[in-house]
Amino acid sequence: MTAIEAIGLGKWYRKQDIGSPTFLGALPRWLSGAKADGFWALRDVNFKIRQGQTVGVIGPNGSGKSSLLGLIAQTMVPTEGAVRTTGRISALLELGAGFHPDLSGRENIYLNAAILGIAREDIRRRFDHIVDFAELRGFIDMPVKHYSSGMYVRLAFSVAVEMNPDILLIDEVLAVGDVAFQTKCLDRIRQFQKQGKTILFVSHALETVEEFCSDVLLIHEGRFIMQGKPSDVIFSYLKSYMVKLGLFSVEEHGTREVEMRSIRLLDAAGAETAAFSTGGAMTVEIGYRAHRRIEMPVFGFSIKTGNGFYVFGSNTQIAKVPIAAIEGDGLVRLRIEPLTLKQGRFFLSLAVHSWDHKTQYHRQEDLHPFMIKDAHDDKGVFQLNCAWEHQPKP
Amino acid sequence: MTDDGPEKTENEGQAPDSGALTSVVRRLSSGSERDFTAARQSSKVSRFMVKMIKDVFKYRDLLWNLVARDLKIRYRGSILGFLWTILTPLFMAAIYIVFLRLLAGWRVAAIQYEDIIIGVFAWQFTTQCVNAGLNCVTGNSSLVKKVFFPRIILPLSVSVTGLVNFLLTLVVQWALVAILLTMKGASLEVTTLWVPLLSLYQLLFNFSLALLVASANVYFRDTQHIVNLLMSAWFFMSPVMYPLSLVESMARSHPWVGQLYLLNPMTVIITGYRALQVPGAVFPWTATSVAGLLIPLVIMGIAYVAFQRSQRYFSDML
Repeated sequence: MTAIEAIGLGKWYRKQDIGSPTFLGALPRWLSGAKADGFWALRDVNFKIRQGQTVGVIGPNGSGKSSLLGLIAQTMVPTEGAVRTTGRISALLELGAGFHPDLSGRENIYLNAAILGIAREDIRRRFDHIVDFAELRGFIDMPVKHYSSGMYVRLAFSVAVEMNPDILLIDEVLAVGDVAFQTKCLDRIRQFQKQGKTILFVSHALETVEEFCSDVLLIHEGRFIMQGKPSDVIFSYLKSYMVKLGLFSVEEHGTREVEMRSIRLLDAAGAETAAFSTGGAMTVEIGYRAHRRIEMPVFGFSIKTGNGFYVFGSNTQIAKVPIAAIEGDGLVRLRIEPLTLKQGRFFLSLAVHSWDHKTQYHRQEDLHPFMIKDAHDDKGVFQLNCAWEHQPKP
Repeated sequence: MTDDGPEKTENEGQAPDSGALTSVVRRLSSGSERDFTAARQSSKVSRFMVKMIKDVFKYRDLLWNLVARDLKIRYRGSILGFLWTILTPLFMAAIYIVFLRLLAGWRVAAIQYEDIIIGVFAWQFTTQCVNAGLNCVTGNSSLVKKVFFPRIILPLSVSVTGLVNFLLTLVVQWALVAILLTMKGASLEVTTLWVPLLSLYQLLFNFSLALLVASANVYFRDTQHIVNLLMSAWFFMSPVMYPLSLVESMARSHPWVGQLYLLNPMTVIITGYRALQVPGAVFPWTATSVAGLLIPLVIMGIAYVAFQRSQRYFSDML
C-alpha cells in the first residue's frame, strides 16, 4: 500500500525583502501592480513511498528537502500538485518546538506532547519512563531556561519518541546531541522500523542513510532526480554533485591520446557500487581506448580522504607491472584487497601517462567518490592489522 | 486523537497565486457579483463552522495546554500577575473619573462610577484578546513552521485565556460595583448572574477580532500600529467611560447618529453588561441595537473564512 504519494508537487516562494513585510511597504507594489518575484523551491516532484519503507531524502543544501517534508507534514501548502498520505503523520522537524522557557520540564512535557498530538493519558502513563529516558529525574520541576542545551534536547527527544504515528518524518534532528544520544535516536528508529512504520528522513549523513533506508530519494535544485536503492542513489549523488561543488580539483585533462572511457568501481561480488566495507575488496575497472599505439604506458591511481588528505597512490610502474604497448580498446583492472581504509568518504583519482611522466595522456582528478562502511570500533583512516600481547613480570 | 482506521490526508495546491491575502480580499469583495446567494453563503459558513468545531475538538488537548501555559506564566507562583490584571482597569477607571471630574465641563453628574468600572473591565477583555491575537501566530513562528495543527487553535487559545482573565477580574468588578451601589442604597441586579453568558458572547466577538488581526499581522507587520490607532479611536466611540444615555441625549437632534452608534458591537455589549448589573440601567431594544448584537456573528463568519484562507500561507510568510 502506498503511504505517501507526490503528484506533480511544486512549491513556489516569493522572494522576501529584507525585514518583515509591512502594509506601507506593500502599498506601492499594489498601486503599480508589479508582479511579485519568486522562485520554485520544488517543481514537478512525483514519487510513491510504500508503507513500511524507510526512505532517505538526500541532496545538496537548498535543494528543497525541507520544503518537501513541510509539504508532507502539511505545515505548508503546495503551490501546484498534491501530496496524498495514508495514516497518521508525525513530523519531527524540530526538537522542542513550543517549549516555553519559563515552564518546568514537567509542564513542557505535557505542552510539547499536546503540540505533537500525543494523548495526555499516554504521557501520564509513560511520564516516569520519559523522565528516566531523558535522564532528568532531579531537574524535572526546574524551568527549562535553566537547562543546559543537552538537557533541553534530551527532554525534547524523550517526548518526541512517544509519538505513535503511521508515518514519521524526520528532518536532520538526528544530527544533534552526543554519541550516546545519537545511538538512542537510531535505536528508536530501528524500533519504529520493526513496527512497520513508514519513515521519511532528510539527512546529510550518507552513512546513516545507507544503513537505515530501503529507498533513497535524490533531489537537486527543487527537481526530483531519482529514487532507488541507497547505494545507487548515493553513488550518483556523490558522483554528480559532491564533486561538482568544487571541494576538489575535480578535473580531467591530458592529451587524450589514450582515453579512459569507462570507470567502474566493483565490490567483491563484482557488482558496481560506491559503498565498500573495511576488510572487503575493491576492484577498479578502467576501460581505455588508445587512439594510436603507445609504448610503455603507465596507469596510476591515488586516493584522498573527504577533506583532501592524500592517503595512498601507486601506478603500474611502481608496482613493476609494465605494460609493453597498447592500441585500440582494452581493460585495466586494479584490485585492492583487503581494503584497509576505514569509515568515511574518499575520492579516487586515475591517470594514464608516459613512462617518463612527461606526457599526461589522461588524468581524472578526484573524479570518483566512494565511501567505506566499517563495522569495527577502532579509529583512524587505516585498518592496521594489530595483535596485543600481555606479559606480566614473572 | 482517534485511532479508527488509517487517516487519509491530501495536501493539495492551487494555481500559483501572487498573494494569498489579495486573493482573499478578491474573493470576499467579489462575493456579490458571483454565484454567492445569501443562503449559499451562510450554508458555506455553517459548514466551515462545523469543520472548525471538529478541528478544535480533536485538538482540545493542545488548546487547554496553550491556555494553561499562558495562565501559568501570568500567574506563576504569586498573586502579582493577578494584581496587575486587576490594577490596570482599576487605574484606568480612576484616571477617567478624576479627569472627567476635573476637566470635562459637560454633564459629569450623569456619569456613574459603576458604569465606568463595568465599561473599563469589559473593554480590557476585548483589548487583551486583540493584543494577544496580534502576536499569537507571529510569536509562535517555530511552531507554525514546524508542526501541523489547526492554526485556529492559536487565536482561540489567546481568546480563551482572555476569557479566564476576565472571569477572574469579574469577581473584583462585582465587589467594587456592589460597594458603590450599596453606598447609594442600591444593590446588584439579580440578572447579574447572566453576565458570564454575555461574556461568552463577547468572547465570540473577541475571537473573531483576534482571527482578523492575527492573520493580518502575518502578512503586514505594521498591523500592530494600525490596530493600536483604531483601538484608541474605537475606545472613544464606545461607551466605556460614559454611559450610552450621554450619546443619546447628544444625538437628540440627529437620531441617526444615535442609531449608527448602536451598531457598534462594543456599545451593545458594554451597555448590556450595565443593564444586567446596575438597577435602573436599561438596554435600548431597537432594530439597530439588535443589529449591533448580530454584527459579531457576521464578523465571525468573515473572520473565520479570511483566517482559514490566509493560514495556508502562514509558514511561507513567517
